[in-house]
Amino acid sequence: MNSIPIRHKWEPYLWLLPSLLLMSIFVVFPIGIVFKLSMSDISKAGIVGSWNSFANFRAVFRDPAFGTVMMNTAVWVVSVVGLSTLLGFITAMVLNQKFLGRKVARSIVVFPWATSLVIQASVWNYIIKGEYGNLNNVLLNLGILRGAVNWRATYQIEFAWECGVGIFVTIPFVAFTVLAGLQSIDEAYYEAATVDGAGFWKKLRHVTIPLVRPSLTVCTVLNIIYVFNSFPIIYTITKGAPANKTDTMVTFLYMRAFYDNQKGAATAMSVIGFAILCVCAGAYMVISMRKEER
Amino acid sequence: MKKLTALLLALLLALGCCAAFAEGDEITLDVIICQYGPNTNDWFLGTGMNGTNFVDKFEAENPGIKLNLEVVSWNDVYTEVSTRISNNNAPDILNIDVFADYAAEGLLLPVSDYCPEDLFSDFFPQFIEQSVIDGTVWAVPDLASARAMWVNTDILAEVGVEIPKTWAELEDVSQAIVDFYDGEVYPYGMDMTTDEGQAAFAYFVWNNGGGFVDEEGKLCVNTDKNVEAIEFAIGLVNKGYTNPNPATQTRYDLQDMFGAGKLAMVVAPNQLPTYLADKDYNVNYVSAPLPVNGDGVTPASVGVMDRVMAFRDDEYPDQAARNEAIGKFLKFFYDPENYVGWVSMEGFLPAVNSSVAALVESDPSFEAWLDVLGGCQFYPTADPKWNDTKQGVIDVEQKALTGGDVRTLLDELQAKLEG
Repeated sequence: MNSIPIRHKWEPYLWLLPSLLLMSIFVVFPIGIVFKLSMSDISKAGIVGSWNSFANFRAVFRDPAFGTVMMNTAVWVVSVVGLSTLLGFITAMVLNQKFLGRKVARSIVVFPWATSLVIQASVWNYIIKGEYGNLNNVLLNLGILRGAVNWRATYQIEFAWECGVGIFVTIPFVAFTVLAGLQSIDEAYYEAATVDGAGFWKKLRHVTIPLVRPSLTVCTVLNIIYVFNSFPIIYTITKGAPANKTDTMVTFLYMRAFYDNQKGAATAMSVIGFAILCVCAGAYMVISMRKEER
Repeated sequence: MKKLTALLLALLLALGCCAAFAEGDEITLDVIICQYGPNTNDWFLGTGMNGTNFVDKFEAENPGIKLNLEVVSWNDVYTEVSTRISNNNAPDILNIDVFADYAAEGLLLPVSDYCPEDLFSDFFPQFIEQSVIDGTVWAVPDLASARAMWVNTDILAEVGVEIPKTWAELEDVSQAIVDFYDGEVYPYGMDMTTDEGQAAFAYFVWNNGGGFVDEEGKLCVNTDKNVEAIEFAIGLVNKGYTNPNPATQTRYDLQDMFGAGKLAMVVAPNQLPTYLADKDYNVNYVSAPLPVNGDGVTPASVGVMDRVMAFRDDEYPDQAARNEAIGKFLKFFYDPENYVGWVSMEGFLPAVNSSVAALVESDPSFEAWLDVLGGCQFYPTADPKWNDTKQGVIDVEQKALTGGDVRTLLDELQAKLEG
């Protein structure tokens, strides 16, 4: 008779076991290795040597390019996550309206997200190429431009393009997460608000936003992590050139590891990135959960 | 039923183990080959070698030796090799460009341990010299290429100028092209990208009497000649004589621009005609020596050479058998019957004497290039700090492009290399 409750106790763990096992092998274990590597000497050829306390971290902080790279990373994450959330939210609101061809519109919006990032970045790279880029061709053929324009005249402009591509590919994810939230809102709330005399902005502020906040939180946390760790766009378009001025942390640590053969510094940087992400994503979650509780 | 399945699985596992042990006397060599072009994979693993491939042919002719050969793209090979070294799983034979780091860390076998003497004496001596550290040869060349300045003759004829031989002429010709085409055609192709910016550095410093090393062979990047050369190169960019984005436009972008008639001059390897023909570009061009600073300097061409090396595997029980197998691999690879096909397939230049005659017979233009190759300068790749130097000069160029002072930057780099 007693056997049933006992089985119930351990049964969930049994079902969780495969995922736990996979996660520890493919996630926890490698993270542990990276932590170990970040505090070890690693030779240029890649041989792992002895523990060197925090020499790798000191090398990272002494690297003159590190400041620029951190600044770029901040601009990259804030602009891409911020603007794609704003634009994705607006897109979701539009897609939530009833109009002819809504289904088609929804599937078109998902395209940028469904395409691999490397392909996206390569396509954009071709679009903005000065000499035979599609943007120049289209504008020249339409008669808008008289001569070809160099769309990547300075590295600041190139970085802005990269942020733009980042925003473009991130919008669909936000739009669909928010759309899911919007669809779950009961029409009755809006009807009640209308009866009470609320206009569009008041409904948005007092009904829509509070009710989609859980989906928005999840999507922003995930986005911060994805965008911070995003590699293909910058690597494909500029490779961080000139002289790390368009690098973010992830591309920078890749270049340090595999171009400059400084694998110790690179692993230290990835540990720093991991810590930053834990703090940012954690803080954001705590803050928004508190708001929800209120 | 479940028991039966489990039993079957256990049986299969046991059989698998037996198979693993049954290999016995066979030796398997892990080989990594870099992907030089679209045909590399087909030649080594597909049907590109007259219907068969390198691995099958080798294994048929050398019973007892199996090849576990992988063709890896140049983009991934450094990552792959260093990951394998970190995991204590280095390949037996590696084809790559660099070797000094591996040699310095005691990972390589000296060439004399495995290379048969008749083959060793077949290599061009000036190539072998590039792989010597402290008197020991650590790698053999697999192929080479030489660079020249390729000039679009139609553009120069239309503008009415001659091929520039000096830097002053290069500036005059560039200005004439800019004036004539009003910016529609870029005069000179400059690649200062992270991929190959060290080549641009070499083109200018070598043709100004400078270089990467001093007379004693020590790394020395901040000489007056070098500063002058790089200031001149950056000046070309700032005056609008080059493609607009040297930090992100790779040599392949430049070759495409050249093929499309958008670029008048570009320094590129001897395989440029193959590249342009493969992509159906149709322009008229000739190759010319790189422009030099002043009349007294002999134009230096840039030679690029890749290598084959063997890694140590101290745990392997029969070292002599392993060395012999590696030697057989090399003998087979450099056998003119195989090697001529390999080199000419992607339009490279050979590294051994025995194939020259056959290559010249198949393509007479090879002979002129072999002469060029004879006078080539090479990067100091035998220096363990070469990679730092290479990345360093690219960084200097890119910083100079964004307004940095060349002398200060080169001084800083020199201090870093010495530190």
